[in-house]
Amino acid sequence: MSGKNRANVPAGVLATVWLIIVAVPIYFVVITGFRTQDAYIEQGPLDLPTRPTLGNFTSLFELGFTTYLVNSLIVAFGTVAVVLGVALPAAYAIVRNPSRQLKIAFNVFLLGLAVPAQAVIVPIYLIITRLQLYDSLLAVILPTAAFSLPIAIVVLTSTLRDIPGELYEAMTVDGAASGRIFTRLVLPLSRPGLVSVGIFVGLGAWNGFLFPLVLTQSDEQRVLTLGLWKFQSQYGTNVPGLMAAVVLSALPVLALYLFGRRHLLSGLAAGFGK
Amino acid sequence: MRRTVLKVVAASAVLTLASACGNSGPGTGSGAAGADVQVWALEDAAVNPIATRSIADFNAGTGDNVKLVTYVNDAYKQKLQVAMGSPQAPDVFFNWGGGNLKQFVDAKQVEPLDDLLAKNPGLTDKFLPSVMDVGKVGGKQYGLPMIGVLPVVLFINKDVFAKAGVQPPTTYAELLNLIDVFKSKGITPIALAGSQGWTELMWLEYLLDRIGGVDKFKAIVDGRDGAWTDPAVVKSLGEIQNLVKRGAFGSNYASVNYDNQGASKLFATGKAAMHLMGTWDYSVQKDANPKFITDGKLGYVGFPAYEGGAGDPKAVVGNPSNYYSINAGSKNKAVATDFLAKSLTSDAYINGLIEAGQVPPVKGIEATLKAKPNSEFTTFTYDLVAGAPSFTQSWDQALSPSVSAELLTNLQKLFINKITPDEFAGNMAKVK
Amino acid sequence: MIAAARRERPGFTWAAPAVLFFLALGILPVFAVVYLSFTKWNGLGDPQWIGLDNWKSITDDPDLVNGIVKTVTLTVVSWLLQTPLALLIGVWAAGPQRGRAALSTLFFLPLLLSTAAISLTFVSLLDPNFGLAADYGKYVGFADGNFLGSDHALYVVAFVVAWQFVPFHTLLYQSATRQIPRSLYEAAQIDGATGVRQFFAITLPQLRNTIIASSVLMLVGSLTYFEMILLMTNGGPGTATRVLPLHMYIKGFVGFDMGYASVLAVLLVAVGTALSVVVVRSTGYHRMASDREGA
Repeated sequence: MSGKNRANVPAGVLATVWLIIVAVPIYFVVITGFRTQDAYIEQGPLDLPTRPTLGNFTSLFELGFTTYLVNSLIVAFGTVAVVLGVALPAAYAIVRNPSRQLKIAFNVFLLGLAVPAQAVIVPIYLIITRLQLYDSLLAVILPTAAFSLPIAIVVLTSTLRDIPGELYEAMTVDGAASGRIFTRLVLPLSRPGLVSVGIFVGLGAWNGFLFPLVLTQSDEQRVLTLGLWKFQSQYGTNVPGLMAAVVLSALPVLALYLFGRRHLLSGLAAGFGK
Repeated sequence: MRRTVLKVVAASAVLTLASACGNSGPGTGSGAAGADVQVWALEDAAVNPIATRSIADFNAGTGDNVKLVTYVNDAYKQKLQVAMGSPQAPDVFFNWGGGNLKQFVDAKQVEPLDDLLAKNPGLTDKFLPSVMDVGKVGGKQYGLPMIGVLPVVLFINKDVFAKAGVQPPTTYAELLNLIDVFKSKGITPIALAGSQGWTELMWLEYLLDRIGGVDKFKAIVDGRDGAWTDPAVVKSLGEIQNLVKRGAFGSNYASVNYDNQGASKLFATGKAAMHLMGTWDYSVQKDANPKFITDGKLGYVGFPAYEGGAGDPKAVVGNPSNYYSINAGSKNKAVATDFLAKSLTSDAYINGLIEAGQVPPVKGIEATLKAKPNSEFTTFTYDLVAGAPSFTQSWDQALSPSVSAELLTNLQKLFINKITPDEFAGNMAKVK
Repeated sequence: MIAAARRERPGFTWAAPAVLFFLALGILPVFAVVYLSFTKWNGLGDPQWIGLDNWKSITDDPDLVNGIVKTVTLTVVSWLLQTPLALLIGVWAAGPQRGRAALSTLFFLPLLLSTAAISLTFVSLLDPNFGLAADYGKYVGFADGNFLGSDHALYVVAFVVAWQFVPFHTLLYQSATRQIPRSLYEAAQIDGATGVRQFFAITLPQLRNTIIASSVLMLVGSLTYFEMILLMTNGGPGTATRVLPLHMYIKGFVGFDMGYASVLAVLLVAVGTALSVVVVRSTGYHRMASDREGA
């Protein structure tokens, strides 16, 4: 494979440059989290902290960080569960049944691919308050899930199309009903697609900002992205405190990534690569 | 009525789903005998504990259940706008007075406080009149001051001044001269967080006040024809561009951000000599650069006089205070008014504010201020406001939100020489 | 037809939950916004019907054209910046070099940070007096570190957007490259094709669908993208980075002119929909390959 390696030299150089570009800001975030406020003012952005402190991290927990973290996890996992729960059966029907109704349904989802959430935030607020869901985590999960549906359907339908028709035929000949085919065939074979959709949707929900901002209000229902704002007073930002919060909030995602890296890669390939 | 029916229907339908319920509905109280009253305010590490204490005192005395809910700045404005008039609205809400309060009054969502003031005659006399005025709409009182005064002042880095052998400016000509002096020494004359329009606005506010007098902005607020294109306004805008050309703010001010202390740090480290900012910057410096203050390097003066200008050199601009107002749709108006009457002027609350370094807009607190830390600065602030013939509210608070948004956009363009003063005036005159 | 009768056919019921859910929270609000675009409303009280006034005032809004230009520019620049980067790094990372797992993890890190965190980090790093911009700006043509306050602010924003999203697209390309059958390369090797030729003859054509998928995500994402710009420049200096979604946000949630903001929202939805249609038609996503194997 020596030929392949040589071709990779320019790409390798590029990758190294980009690696530095990625690493420097990350280093800044981590290192700043261990600084005191006045050290942040005195020192250059990349200096090692002379008096490193854990104070930012400990005060985070006093500020209710745990609650926010749990809320964000609930929102992320709840959104993924709702999306996968309704999108996979829909994708299955769309792929296996060429009826007019389902064609129309599929096209509606495709059209929704690029509806910007902020464009419809006001009606969403009105609908959520009418449903008596205002200021609950469900109020964040439902619209976030709704806006993730189009991409989920697109990816899952393309995954399901890759399942060879003969497999369906074989099960049908055995007299299996749709329900059984779904659990025995569709569910196991669509796992890579489910993983990639789950990651994509989960990250989106984890980082969501506009829906929680408008649809929740109490401290008990606050998510991490809004919790970061605790470090912004009326007149400025406590940057080290903020960075400590960023580091802590990144840890759960990092753990998930390290844990599911293999699935992620094969899932992404199946979902977006074909 | 209709709303309650809806509520019952929707609630029964969704009851199975609702994992958590806000406290907007009835019956979610903490079991206290009194009413549930929501007070909404801004996130403020210094003031929130004082407010919480005064609320606890009030609750203990009355058996009511007043609760403080806080938000950060931008989020607060949006939430309030969306929530007012809905069942999620607060009973008592924090606001900026002026145009910010007026839009709620226009929508008939704010309870006038005249009855409350008539019943408690001592209340009106306690506050500084120029600050009370900003809580009025159409001559009626709708808001009561709940926080210290925050005028805009010119901060001076004494260290840099001493090294250059110069004095703080008392006139605009002196200020221009200082700009040349510092520029020749390689120091940014004036720190400016130019990535945010509201910091730039302070220059326009003071220049128009000094050049044209206090009535020029009143005409703008009242929406009079030709108010924006008034010669005094155009002249002030021209002075801003002269300052930029002269190098008053250096060359990279448009990248500097206030929220991450970009401008405050520039000034405290002596890379800039002056900083025009609200008095809150004192607290910012105290947190971030305590030595700057303890070494006695931080100076402050009022904005210089403009030779030949129509304005009074003692006049100030800035945030007179923030205000508490009562939601007209609140079910607990009696408790809410009672809360305002009892807590805002209580000794505990006012002393708490002073302890936190604030300057409450209350008469006769000079002695208390002197006995507390930071007395030099708080006394300076108090005297500046008490001695001011007028206290013009920050324009972005005094004008309606839609006009403010356009104003800040145009101002940024003016500061980077994308538009001329005449174009600016023309653009603003078109905004409804 | 007889054969069809023997086949399982999951009915519409299977898709009903997803369809109803999306209609209620995805499509219904769009109709509500269309209604609001004919009203005057500042978010307080009830909207008042004013007919076409908001729509007529489009012509008086200089920021609208500016917003469209900035949005298109940002989209194009982002695509030009991100696609080659992600493609080359992705292909490289799929190769056999040692320590790949650790490197991939490093590349992946920006995905862990929320947009708000990334924005605030870069505002600090780009501070012209104290950030990296102060020391290193001169090497890239910004002598005074005036990155976010210059006329080039939009390109700076595009760079930060790339910083956030290149890792995701890199992952796509990396995983797709691994799926390419080795036999293709081995055959090319026998024919004496060099690495560069192999890249253009085999790798690139094999990645065609991934390039399309990644581009779709970029395009669609660019229309909804405003949070980072809001936190980094707020559309400034002046309106240099005021893309259309941000313009709508400022009109609606800063100026509280909900009626006009709804006009902008309708325009955004229309553009987004048109874009989706174009993308879908050109990629063949819409073909219902229900009877054929996904050939």
